[in-house]
Amino acid sequence: MRILVCIKQVWEPESLFDLQGTELRPRPPLRRKVGSYDELALEEALRLKDRLPRTNLTVLSVGPPPVVDVLRRALGMGADRAVHILAPDQPPPRPATLAAWIAAWAQGQNFDLILTGVMSEDAMQGAVGPMLAAHLGWPPVTSVVSLKVDGHALAVEREMEGGRRQRLALPLPALLTVQSGPNQPRYPTLSNLLRAKKTTPLTVDAAGLAAPPDREKVVALTPPEKRRAGLVLEGSAAQKAERLLAMLRERALL
Amino acid sequence: MSAGAKSRVVVVAEHSQGRLSPVNWELMACAGQMARVLGLEVAAAVLGQGVEPLAGEIAQRTGVKVWAVEVEGMAAFHGEAQRLALAQLLPAWRAQAVVGAHSTSGLDWAPGLAARLEAAYLPGVEGLSAGPEGPRFSRTAHYGKVREELAPTAWPLVLTVQPGTFPAAPPGEAGHGEVEVVRLPAPPCRSQLLEVVDGAGTDAGLGRAKVVVAAGRGVGQAENLELLRRLAGLFSSAALAGSRPVCDLGWLGYGHQVGLTGATVSPSLYIACGISGARQHTVGMQGSGFIVAISNDPQAAIFNLADVCIVEDLTVLIPALLEQASGYSDPASLQGDLPGRPG
Ligand SMILES: Cc1cc2nc3c(=O)[nH]c(=O)nc-3n(C[C@H](O)[C@H](O)[C@H](O)COP(=O)(O)OP(=O)(O)OC[C@H]3O[C@@H](n4cnc5c(N)ncnc54)[C@H](O)[C@@H]3O)c2cc1C
Repeated sequence: MRILVCIKQVWEPESLFDLQGTELRPRPPLRRKVGSYDELALEEALRLKDRLPRTNLTVLSVGPPPVVDVLRRALGMGADRAVHILAPDQPPPRPATLAAWIAAWAQGQNFDLILTGVMSEDAMQGAVGPMLAAHLGWPPVTSVVSLKVDGHALAVEREMEGGRRQRLALPLPALLTVQSGPNQPRYPTLSNLLRAKKTTPLTVDAAGLAAPPDREKVVALTPPEKRRAGLVLEGSAAQKAERLLAMLRERALL
Repeated sequence: MSAGAKSRVVVVAEHSQGRLSPVNWELMACAGQMARVLGLEVAAAVLGQGVEPLAGEIAQRTGVKVWAVEVEGMAAFHGEAQRLALAQLLPAWRAQAVVGAHSTSGLDWAPGLAARLEAAYLPGVEGLSAGPEGPRFSRTAHYGKVREELAPTAWPLVLTVQPGTFPAAPPGEAGHGEVEVVRLPAPPCRSQLLEVVDGAGTDAGLGRAKVVVAAGRGVGQAENLELLRRLAGLFSSAALAGSRPVCDLGWLGYGHQVGLTGATVSPSLYIACGISGARQHTVGMQGSGFIVAISNDPQAAIFNLADVCIVEDLTVLIPALLEQASGYSDPASLQGDLPGRPG
């Protein structure tokens, strides 16, 4: 079975930044990582590979040169091959563009299964996976929390509001987006990391891949509105604690 | 587009088990604003089987035209069937915009539909305004820490509305809207919906508690939950809740999860400990009376929703709270069983 997992490199969530026009400027030191849902998608693919011996697992990421780091980590976790679609990240490509680029490369690669995270951890648009499926003419199933492969058939469960689950059956090839669940991503192994160090990902320049013109444009970035008072307590931890307790008592909450 | 007749913004209603979801009235509110900004007419569609009464309910409450689309074989929500059916029907409906929810269902059909229609896709919309060159849609981006405004540069539009951000449209006085029944043969789906099963749904007493102390991934390790249990123990009616990652990690059972795919709570006091404030979490707690947030990240999104913001390591702050509340100074004396511990 040939599996493709698409992963996005994101900033560590706590990274501080400044807004400049329609750009986010990170304050150094900027640390990056694999988006958490994408890492879970990779983990699901690795579990399939553990069970189905003749599985070949490709991991793909779109972005500027630093995305090679997340590809190496994925190889360290056990992926067989890495593909880097080289593209600038400013302005961030729209989901439709990302989907078109990935589709342009993936078409003709004979993948049986494509996995992505249910959303990117930072932008939370949940669009690239289903749009990629639309390009390939495959049915996407989103928010998948369990999957089993039996020959050319897939049995999946997707999670809905209130924890309700749908069970679906579908044939391969298919695209699934993975929701979080009890499975935690594995750590890279030393031997895989050593191998990854020596592996150069296949680089594909996005400039050579077809994509439609943007259908939406980011015109402003501003700090989010405060929806409540948002009183920030100052001082030492003990002073903050004292102040909070006083406020709760004043409001008869304590 | 035929001259004369107004183009439409079509709300695709969510329903399950024969009931409309409350989020539909929020979608209607968004569509109403779009209609004003863009000069469109609002309409709605309900897809499934036996959906005519649901369409009637929407038509009666809002006064808009509603299509009851009876889709052969679609006994429950099925994203692929919904997407294929909509792609087929929307052109005839003069739909310039399609509105769904940024929910697990909306996310299953809307982006693929946008790709298929070559439409602009606006995910997780929280507001809109008229810009100099057309409408602008706002959403939160980058871990909920930034408000992003998107301007579509192509039509039609497919948008998903972030649940819990538009105030539900009140029932209109426009009178009963028209219901039109459309019958579709089963779309050529590759996936087959086998069944829908209920979630664990075990109630961890979250609904009844006056105070909810909620743990996020920032709790760091399961052992630190003890601090939160003790904090909950300071109140007479308190329950311990968690964000989704905390439940995924098995630190708390899924019955404790608050948010889009968990419980919705509105206690008098909600204390968010080590929770970043993703929309999927806050939709489940934003109605709380008083919200206290503790996070070590000064830019965490949860602070935009809190009455009181405490930027601090929770493993330092909570012991300080416990110490001052009880007058104890020796942390060792804080050991032992306390209320708030799940059974
Ligand atoms: C379809 C869908 C449905 C979802 N449904 C839900 C849902 O129902 N409920 C839900 O909660 N989530 C849900 N999510 C997940 C949601 O998007 C977020 O990923 C999740 O809420 C994040 O949880 P968190 O805030 O605990 O963790 P994080 O986002 O990792 O935040 C941890 C926070 O703790 C802070 N922190 C770290 N260490 C410390 C410390 N020592 N002291 C103080 N602060 C610290 C960090 O700075 C950060 O602010 C859903 C996602 C999807 C895609």
